[in-house]
Amino acid sequence: MITLNKNYKEKIKLRIEPIGKDLDVIKGTPLIDKLFEYGIEFPCGGKGLCGGCKVKLLSGDVKNHEQYKELNCKLGLDSDFRLACNSELIEDTTIEIPQLESLILADNTAFTFTPLVGFGIAIDIGTTTIVAQLVDLSSSQVLGVQTSRNPQSRFGSDIMSRILHGLTTAGSDELKKLIREETYSLIKLLLNSKDINLKKIVLVGNSVMHHLFCGLDVQPLSMFPFATTNNESIEYSPVELDWELSSEVKIIFVRPISSFIGSDIYAGIIASGMDKHTQLTALIDLGTNGEIVVGSSDRMVCASTAAGPAFEGATIHMGMSAMSGAISSVNNNDTRIDYHVIGNQDALGICGSGLIDAVSVFLQNGSVDAGGTIVDEKEKLRIGDRVFLTQKDVREFQLAKGALAAGLQILVDKLCKSLDDITHIFIAGGFGNFINLSNVTRLGMIEVDQSKITKLGNSALIGAKMLLFTDDYSLENSISKIEHISLDSDENFQDIFVNKMFFNNYISNDIADE
Amino acid sequence: MNELLNKLAVAIARGKVNQKSPFPPDMKGEFGADELTKQALEESVAPAAILNDGLMIGMKTVGDKFESGKAFIPDMLIAAKAMNVAMVHLKPFFDSGEVELKGDFILGTVAGDLHDIGKNIVRMVLTGNGWNVIDLGTDVKPEQFIETLKEYPNAVIGMSALLTTTMMQMETTTTAIKEVSPDTKIYIGGAPISQEFSDKIGADGYFPDPNKFAKHLASVV
Ligand code: B12
Ligand code: FES
Repeated sequence: MITLNKNYKEKIKLRIEPIGKDLDVIKGTPLIDKLFEYGIEFPCGGKGLCGGCKVKLLSGDVKNHEQYKELNCKLGLDSDFRLACNSELIEDTTIEIPQLESLILADNTAFTFTPLVGFGIAIDIGTTTIVAQLVDLSSSQVLGVQTSRNPQSRFGSDIMSRILHGLTTAGSDELKKLIREETYSLIKLLLNSKDINLKKIVLVGNSVMHHLFCGLDVQPLSMFPFATTNNESIEYSPVELDWELSSEVKIIFVRPISSFIGSDIYAGIIASGMDKHTQLTALIDLGTNGEIVVGSSDRMVCASTAAGPAFEGATIHMGMSAMSGAISSVNNNDTRIDYHVIGNQDALGICGSGLIDAVSVFLQNGSVDAGGTIVDEKEKLRIGDRVFLTQKDVREFQLAKGALAAGLQILVDKLCKSLDDITHIFIAGGFGNFINLSNVTRLGMIEVDQSKITKLGNSALIGAKMLLFTDDYSLENSISKIEHISLDSDENFQDIFVNKMFFNNYISNDIADE
Repeated sequence: MNELLNKLAVAIARGKVNQKSPFPPDMKGEFGADELTKQALEESVAPAAILNDGLMIGMKTVGDKFESGKAFIPDMLIAAKAMNVAMVHLKPFFDSGEVELKGDFILGTVAGDLHDIGKNIVRMVLTGNGWNVIDLGTDVKPEQFIETLKEYPNAVIGMSALLTTTMMQMETTTTAIKEVSPDTKIYIGGAPISQEFSDKIGADGYFPDPNKFAKHLASVV
């Protein structure tokens, strides 16, 4: 008798054009899981609303959910196009991704600009990744995008370890060289040896990236009172950076707002348009530094809440980044816990979006109380056979969410407003795209109504693109309206922080259970 | 009488500050640490017994739970609040010397660092364990530790640092202190610290948890 091995997973082939990548994929894998790893953006968060993730079928076919056929039609997609966010891989398939040719990134949103002659490149230098896009300055059209890992990462994943390495002249030179070379190679890829009329390159990044790229002393950023060495936008000609480009090209690294709030956040502010709103809005970056800006067109306050990398899955026992094998979402289904693993394979760990869901699920089903304590101490918080959360993981999550929520509260207090006065919150950073907002609000990571929150995608890159169209990089007028608040000198921080560690929205549940 | 001290220990461990305080909800209306300490003194319980068999037991209970992860920062802070009101009543006996404390402990977050929540928890646990804690606050320079040590020559020193960059200050500070006072014991803690690091910089030990640390101190002093 032949027995079928239940664990056997049929493999199929996926070819991605125009980059000519061949992948072996487990049958049944959602296409979004595979493309996510290749840096494809899902502008509407994979809801099938924007069409930004469309792919063209060159051979084979994918399985779509019924209800989306209608949407395909509404979006005016030809019959050989599919939405990547809503496709399952079922047979050998070749797809072509328009995003990889002419980028339809999240920043397809229109903005007012004065058309210029030539081309520009907007670059976001992140602590982990660098993203660069080529822009036609006459139309603001994005013509191409390139990303790579920040090569400085080998000296530590967080900014403080970079600073530590940059404290010596040799270390600082090394970090400068690495980042400048990597950025130049992205530029070369974008230009693809075409002879185009490149006019300008605008770079944004956090203050540490600014200092390291520009070769500024990071010592003052290493300890209290945490000052920048130079808080200005710095302009270079290509020779100064050893970049073989026309000497006409103007290169600018945009200035930080303050010691721990960089131009990536400034770019986020202009990308969200919060500087134009007369009502109270906020911008939140859920990354390690947890930057928050709150305000309206006349006055803004900002702070870095130092939440740490827990929301990205780091510091978590079985945490991992959002790649194949990571549990990326978790759901409570009456008697059992459902979860999704990126790549439709066995779960190896859990990434940030999965962690947020999991903590919420365990609070909902009473495994964890509103104080964050695991109720039955002998029980691990299991999600499937292999992956679980520990008590310490929940505590790490509480520290991060406490810091973030306390930061928002203190900033709102500074403006003599309340959380209810906030009309809109923008979430910056690509990571935000995949998180479940109802859990974010319910857990109290962001204490406003879910309907007020919008995910912006890579807002730093969108803003950098907009900055290609200015001339005045001193930004005096706008930055003078943004006041930096030092949370470390706030006497109430500890009390507010500690208060925000509780999961108050689940308390009624606990009492009902008792 | 013993009953009273047990009650006091519970009030501390659960963070029942006084009769009026609404927290914890299931102890509503009951006497808190404030009333219980006063009552014990009125009933002529020895202040040393109040400290040893009331406060310290309470602090140890919550400290043990914190160590195992069953209690968290909010629980520690509320317990400390209860402890502080009890301490107010006991202070005259410490000042007069009637109750002898375990010793002096100089505590601070190192130069360049303002993170103090972890350090504050260390202070609470040590105070609750009968130490006279001199808290120098944050951004404490080596000279400040040394100056204070002159005033309290037999003190043990504890330093906290939360940043990869400021943990280097621990080395500078330890070297400076050991130079003027080689026998002074120096302990370090904070999220990025490890025993390995402690050995490397010549400190006397690293403890990830204040409660473990308090037990260690009790065993060596
Ligand atoms: C709260 C917080 C802040 C608050 C600090 C408020 C305050 N008054 O302390 C604010 C928002 C002001 C802040 C600011 C900054 N922070 Co901060 N902060 C945190 C956060 C979220 C929690 C730290 C904390 O309080 N933990 C809880 C306490 C109880 O734990 P603990 O300190 O480790 O203490 C325990 C033990 O270690 C031990 N212990 C501690 N000290 C001692 C001493 C002895 C002798 C012993 C025995 C034991 C012991 O006992 C304690 C109880 O168990 C962490 C991230 C995280 N999720 O952990 C980042 C974090 C520590 N901050 C970080 C950074 C970089 C900063 C900033 C420099 C920059 C920024 N991004 O904003 C600024 C500058 C701060 C300054 N001026 O010094 C980084 C450090 C990274 C690194 N590798 O160095 C972290 C890890 C976040 C991150 N980005 O990854 N921060
Ligand atoms: S339709 Fe918007 S991401 Fe797929």
